[in-house]
Amino acid sequence: MSFLSGLLGPACEIDVLLDGAESRKTAELKSEDGKVEKHFLFYDGESVSGKVNITMKQPGRRLEHNGIRIEFIGQIELFYDKSNTHEFVSLVKELALPGELTQSRSYDFDFMQVEKPYESYTGTNVRLRYYLKVSIARRLTDIVKEYDLVVHQLATFPDVNTSIKMEVGIEDCLHIEFEYNKSKYHLKDVIVGKIYFLLVRIKIQHMELQLIKKEITGAGANTTTESETIAKYEIMDGAPVKGESIPIRLFLSGYELTPTMRDVNKKFSVRYFINLVLIDEEDRRYFKQQEIMLWRKAPEKLRRKPYQYHYEAAPTQEAHQAEIPGGSNFSLNISHGIAQTVCAVCLPALWHEILQPNGTIVLSFIILGVFLTN
Amino acid sequence: MPSTMELDDQEKLLDEALQVVKVQSFQMKRCLDKNKLMDGLKHASNMLGELRTSMLSPKSYYELYMAVTDELHHLEVFLLDEFAKGRKVADLYELVQYAGNIIPRLYLLVTVGVVYIRTYSQSRKDILKDLVEMCRGVQHPLRGLFLRNYLLQCTRNVLPDDCENTDEKATGEISDSLDFVLLNFAEMNKLWVRMQHQGHSREKEKRERERQELRILVGTNLVRLSQLDGVTVDKFKQLVLPGILEQLVNCRDPIAQEYLMECIIQVFPDEFHLQTLNLFLRACAELHQNVNVKNIIIALIDRLALFAHREDGPGIPSDIRLFDIFSQQVASVIQSRKDMPTEDIVSLQVSLINLAMKCYPDRVDYVDKVLETTVEIFGRINLERVTTSGAVSRELMRLLKIPVDTYNDILMVLQLQHFRPLFDYFDYHSRKNMSCYLLNNALEQDTNIPTQEQVRTAMNIKISGDGLEPLILSLLAAILCLTSDNSLVFFLFSLRYIVTQNNRMTPFLYSNWLNECFKIFIVQAFSLYEDEISDSKAQLAAITLIIGTLERSRCFGEENHEPLRTQCALAASKLLKKPDQCRAVTICSHLFWSGHSADKGGNELHDGKRVMDCLKKAVKIANQCMDASLQVQLFIEILNRYVFFYEKGNDAVSIQLLNQLLQKVREELPSLEAGDETEQLGKHFQNTVEYLRLRQESPESDGPSYDGLVL
Repeated sequence: MSFLSGLLGPACEIDVLLDGAESRKTAELKSEDGKVEKHFLFYDGESVSGKVNITMKQPGRRLEHNGIRIEFIGQIELFYDKSNTHEFVSLVKELALPGELTQSRSYDFDFMQVEKPYESYTGTNVRLRYYLKVSIARRLTDIVKEYDLVVHQLATFPDVNTSIKMEVGIEDCLHIEFEYNKSKYHLKDVIVGKIYFLLVRIKIQHMELQLIKKEITGAGANTTTESETIAKYEIMDGAPVKGESIPIRLFLSGYELTPTMRDVNKKFSVRYFINLVLIDEEDRRYFKQQEIMLWRKAPEKLRRKPYQYHYEAAPTQEAHQAEIPGGSNFSLNISHGIAQTVCAVCLPALWHEILQPNGTIVLSFIILGVFLTN
Repeated sequence: MPSTMELDDQEKLLDEALQVVKVQSFQMKRCLDKNKLMDGLKHASNMLGELRTSMLSPKSYYELYMAVTDELHHLEVFLLDEFAKGRKVADLYELVQYAGNIIPRLYLLVTVGVVYIRTYSQSRKDILKDLVEMCRGVQHPLRGLFLRNYLLQCTRNVLPDDCENTDEKATGEISDSLDFVLLNFAEMNKLWVRMQHQGHSREKEKRERERQELRILVGTNLVRLSQLDGVTVDKFKQLVLPGILEQLVNCRDPIAQEYLMECIIQVFPDEFHLQTLNLFLRACAELHQNVNVKNIIIALIDRLALFAHREDGPGIPSDIRLFDIFSQQVASVIQSRKDMPTEDIVSLQVSLINLAMKCYPDRVDYVDKVLETTVEIFGRINLERVTTSGAVSRELMRLLKIPVDTYNDILMVLQLQHFRPLFDYFDYHSRKNMSCYLLNNALEQDTNIPTQEQVRTAMNIKISGDGLEPLILSLLAAILCLTSDNSLVFFLFSLRYIVTQNNRMTPFLYSNWLNECFKIFIVQAFSLYEDEISDSKAQLAAITLIIGTLERSRCFGEENHEPLRTQCALAASKLLKKPDQCRAVTICSHLFWSGHSADKGGNELHDGKRVMDCLKKAVKIANQCMDASLQVQLFIEILNRYVFFYEKGNDAVSIQLLNQLLQKVREELPSLEAGDETEQLGKHFQNTVEYLRLRQESPESDGPSYDGLVL
C-alpha cells in the first residue's frame, strides 16, 4: 500500500482504515505519472466511513496541533494549468479540536451517502480524482495525508439503444451499408454488426474497425482535443465483391476504456468513436466515424442486491444483464459469444427481442433460464 | 511458365516464412509445455501471421499452410488434453478473438472452436454456425480458400450426422451439417471463381493453371457431403444437390462448372444420381457456353451404364425411365447450345446409344430412336456431307459401330430404320470403311442372312457409291455368303450386284483380277448348283440367277463364255419339272442374244440361230406338258419371248412362227375349264394380241413389219 507516501514529518504516522475494507473491491487507476495503482472502489451515494489512526513515532513526545480534520474531496486537475484545480465536492469532518497529542489515537469518521457525481479519470490532459485528506493543522507546516479512492459511475441500461445503421459511399466507386447492433455499449460489451457491400469499384486491400477516444478539455477558444486510437481490429482481408456481407464482432473487454463523459463539470469530455476504415491497394483510406456511447454497467454482485444502493435497474434489464458472463461459468461465456454472432448473421430480430425494454420480458427470461441451466 | 527468377524468389520467400514458422512454433510448444497458454497462443498467432502474405504462389502458399497447420495441431492436442483433465480455460473462445489481425484470429478460432465442440458437444451447433459465418471476413481468394479448407479439415469428424455415437447433450443435426458444408462450399467457390478476374489479362493462362491447382480444395466440400450418412437420397434430392447446383449455375464460371459437375458425378453414389437425373441434366443445359457439357453428360451416362451392368448391383429401378430421361434432357441441352460443335452432339448420341445398349439390351427401338434423333439434328443444322477427316465423321463412325459391335448381328443392325440415312451422310471413303466394318463383323460372326429382302438391304448398304471398292466389297459379301451356310441363291444375289456395278464402271477402271475373281465365282456357282441344290424351286431360282448374272457379265472371252452358255442351257434342260425346264430354257435364250463376250469388243452376241434353238426347244417341252392350263400359259410366255426377239431384230424369228403359236393358243384356250386361272390366261393372251395389233396398225419407224400376222 502506498498511502504512507504522503506522510510528512517524523512526529507521527497517519493511517486511514476504511470500514469493510476486507470485502471492498479495488480498481486500478493511473496516476499522473502513468503508474497503475490500486485503490478501493466506491459508487455514487455510498457512505465513506472508517478510522483515522494517528501513530506517534516516538512515544512520550508531544504533538501540538491546531485541530485535526478529514476532508472528502473530488477535484478536476488540468495538467497544463495546475494552479487552477477545481473542487466539485469538498466535505469536511473535524476530528479533534486544537490541542495536544501525547499518544497514538484513532478517530472515527463517516461521510454519509456522499454524492460522487463523476467517474475517476486519468487522461492525457486532465485528471478527475477523489481522495480523503487528513490534516493535522500546525503552526508552520500541516501534517497532511491524502488517501485516493476510485469512483465508478454506474449507469442503468439505456432506455433507447438503437442500432447504428448507415449507407455511405463515394459515388460510382464504393457503396456500403454498415450496421452496429447498438449505439450504446457497456465496457465489457461486444460490438456486433455487419458491413454490406452494395457497390465495389475499387480494389480494397483490407478493412478494419478502429476505436478512437477523444479527450476534449477547456472551453471556447481554449478547447484542446486529444485523439487516441485505442484499438485497430482487422475485420476483412482481401477485396470483396458486390453483395458480400462481412460480420463484425469486437469484444470491448480487451481494451482499456472508460465510460463516455460529457462535459464533466464544464471542464472536459471523453468521447468514443468507431471508425470504419477501408484501405485500398494504393493505401488510400476511406473511413466513416460514428460516435458510440460507452457506459459502465453494475457488476453482478451489486445487481444481486439492488436495494443496498442508489443503483436502480428495471427488471428487464436485470434479466439481460444476467446473461452476460460474470465469472468463470463456461457455458455462459460460450453462449454469450455465439448468441452475438447469430445475431450478426440474422440481425435485427433477435436483438430487439432481447433489448427492447417493453413487452419482451418473458422471452428474455426464457433465454436466461436456458443459459443458467446449461 | 514463371521465370527462373520468379521461382528463386518464391523459394526464398517460402524459406523465410518457414523459418519464422519453425521459430514461433518452437516457442509455442515450449510455452505449452510450461503450461503458459496465453504465451503459447501469442506465438501461435505470430506463426499464423505468416499466412497473411500476398507474395507466395498457390503452390508455395500450400506448403506454408501445411507447415503451419501441422504445428497448429500441437495446440489442438494440448487444448484437448487440458480440457480432458478438466482444466477449463474460461473465455478462450472469446480470448482468441482479441487478435487484431483476422487471419491468425480465425485460424485460432477454428482450432479452439473444434476443441470446444469435442469437449462440450452441447456447443456444437452454435460453434459450427459461428465459424463458417465468421470466415466471411477473409475475402482474399487464396487466403480464404485455405482458411475455409482448414475449417473443413478440422471439423470433418465433428459434423452432426445420423447414426453417430455422440453423447445426448450434443446439439445439431444433419441439417446443420448440410447448411455448414453447403455454405462453406458456396463461399469457397465464389472465392475460387473470383481468382479468375484478378490481375492482368495477359496472365490469364497462368491464373487458370493456378485455379486448376486449387480446385481440389473446393471439391473437398462435396466429398465431405458424400461422406455424411445423413445425406440420404431424399436429402440429396431436396437439399444437397439443389444447393450445389444453384451455386454452380449462378457462378457462370466454366472452369468451376466443368470440374464441379464431374465432381458431383464422381463423389455421390449411383443410386443418388438415378433419382436426380432431371435435376442434374436440367442444370447441364444452363451451364456456361464454354463448358464442355458433353464430357459431363457422357461421364454420367457411362457411370450409370456401368452401374446397370454391374453384376452384384441392383440394376436400374424399373420406375426410372433412364433412357427417356436422358434422351429428353440431352435433346434440350443440345437445343440450348446453338454453337455446340456437331461432333459433340454426335458423341452425346454415342453415349445415349451406349446407355441404351447397356441398360436396355433388348430395346432395339431405343437405339433406333437415337439414330433417328441424330438424323433429325443433321437435318436441322443442314448438314450435307460428313467428310472423312473431320471429327464429326469420327464420332458418327463410333455411333454407327456401336450397334454393329453390340449386336454382332448384321440383321439386327438392318432392322434399324435410321441406320441407313445416317450412313448416307458419310462421304465415299467413310462409307467404304463402314461397309468394310459391317462385312468383317458379319464374317466374324457367321451371320446368317435368311431372306432375300434382307440381303438386298444389306447390299444396298454395302454398295453405295461409285468406284472400284464397292465391287471389292461386294466380292467380300459374296465370300461371306459362300462361307456361311447360306443357300446359293444369296450368293448369286451378290454376284448380280457385282455385275450391275461392273457394267456401270468406266472401262479404264476395269480390272483384270476382278474378272478373274468373277470367273472363279461363277464356276464355283455352277459347282454349287450341281452339288448342293436339290429342291426344284431353288434350282430354278438359282439357274435363273446364274443365267441373269452371266448375261450381264462382260468379262469373259469367247473361250470361257461359250462353255458357260452351253452349260446353262444344259442345266436348264435338265430341270426336273417340265414347266421349270421350259421356262429356264426360254430364259436361256437371252444369253445368246444379249450376252457379252470380251472377244466381240463388248458387243452383244446376237446369235439369232441359237436363240431360236432355245425357243423351239421350249415349245417342244411345252408340248410335253400334261397340264393343259399350264401348257397354254407356257405357250403364251414363249409367244412373248418370240415377240421380244422379233422386235429386237432377230432374223430367225419369222411372222410365220408367230402365226403358228398364236394359232395354237387360240385352239387350246376355249377347251380349258372356266375359272379364275383361265380368265387370267385369256387376259394375258388378249393383252399380247392387243399389243401386236397396235404394232401392226401403226408400226414404229425403226421397228420390224408385222405384215402378214394373223390376229
